[in-house]
Amino acid sequence: VTDGGGGAAPGPRERRAMFLRGFTVQGSWNYQTLIGTGLAFVLAPALKRAYRDPAALERALARHLELFNSHPYLAGVAAGAIARLEADGVAPETVARFKTALRGSLGSLGDRLVWLRWRPATVLLGLALALAGAPWWAAVGGFLLAYNALHLWLRAWGLKVGLRDGLNIGATLRKAPFETLGERAAAAGAFLAGFASLAALGGTAGESAGPLAWALGVAAAAAGVALGRNVRLAAIAVLAAVLVAGLVVGNG
Amino acid sequence: MPEAALLPLLALVGGVVALDATAVGQLMLSRPLAAATLGGAVAGAPAEGLVVGVFLEALHLAVLPVGAAKYPEGGPAAVAAGAAAAGALPGDAEILLIVLFALVWETVSGLTVERMRHLNVRFAGIPPEGATPAAVARRHLGAVAIDFARGTALTLAAVLLLGWLLDAAALERVPAGWARAALELSLVAGAASGLRLFGRGRWPFFVSGAALALLVLFLRGEGA
Repeated sequence: VTDGGGGAAPGPRERRAMFLRGFTVQGSWNYQTLIGTGLAFVLAPALKRAYRDPAALERALARHLELFNSHPYLAGVAAGAIARLEADGVAPETVARFKTALRGSLGSLGDRLVWLRWRPATVLLGLALALAGAPWWAAVGGFLLAYNALHLWLRAWGLKVGLRDGLNIGATLRKAPFETLGERAAAAGAFLAGFASLAALGGTAGESAGPLAWALGVAAAAAGVALGRNVRLAAIAVLAAVLVAGLVVGNG
Repeated sequence: MPEAALLPLLALVGGVVALDATAVGQLMLSRPLAAATLGGAVAGAPAEGLVVGVFLEALHLAVLPVGAAKYPEGGPAAVAAGAAAAGALPGDAEILLIVLFALVWETVSGLTVERMRHLNVRFAGIPPEGATPAAVARRHLGAVAIDFARGTALTLAAVLLLGWLLDAAALERVPAGWARAALELSLVAGAASGLRLFGRGRWPFFVSGAALALLVLFLRGEGA
């Protein structure tokens, strides 16, 4: 049973508004509904077109203020597909079940591809450029351009296929080459991590080429690999110890 | 410390990068590499900002904003660190203090993100005045404005505190060799920790990258 939806599908103006609003989908992230308010904000232009009756529009927006989560770059997939269902007059219960089914997969797809693969690989590209002696604008620009090429494509593609495929979006997501892209980014990232580690070591060790400096550097690299995400805390401890020791017993 | 006239601009940039981290854009201007360079650029020396950005970025590699995870926030601290580096024309001991301060401030900053997300619950659910498009937009953008204010305040506080610390600490006592060694070994360890993100099984790629860097260093040495 529909709830007054089934009006016009989003036109170019609404699509543009949804795309731009998508950049703020996490703006009101909270521990109760996660990005629920953000999703409703993104959907509002499409819902205004799908629901001509103000009371039905309020009920529709209220439904979409409920809990939702997704990777932010793939939230457009959900927003596009939901906008399509609302324009088609699909029953609210079906839309709710669809959202529940979609949110887990959009979160894990985006986390695996973007946060675990693409971002660290492109960050390491920037680090490698900086450590290889590139000017500041090339290191930062190289990172931002490489990173955002995929980022912006994902946002535009996601909204487009969501609006096009509606309930059938699952098949499109399964066919998307996210796994291959992630694998390639991981290989490139591992290569760049090796490059950056040795380039960092060569910054000083290379000048004197002292065996102790190289041995310490190799030990630090091994410790970094062993520590993984804990390397940050270990580094804080080491840097603090060196600073305090220098202030207390050092004499320049 | 950067000139007083630059403080409002630095705070503004800090607000923008705080938004970029989660709320608006996520273009990665908030990554330490970019944010520290931006801070340095505001203070007139982007290359000095990049120097501290590289150290901070290497140690921020494994920070993952997955789901509702709690994590340190890099942007505001990096803006302050980049500006301090640009303003102080620092030696190794100054960079050590700047990097260490920024790493600690990232944790403080992350705690404020968590607190804000609890407070944002007030913007969740149906607005009392009804779920009209305007009411939803007001709530959503209200939360964005709070995040921006949080970022500006954190950045301003960091710039002032760091400026005071750089003036107050007797950094001339810290042997430059110690500071340089600690920083660079941390940088090596941080960059190498990246392998864990991609899986230890990819070590052949890691070793190939290291070999290429070795070749570049060798050729550079030959050229010098």
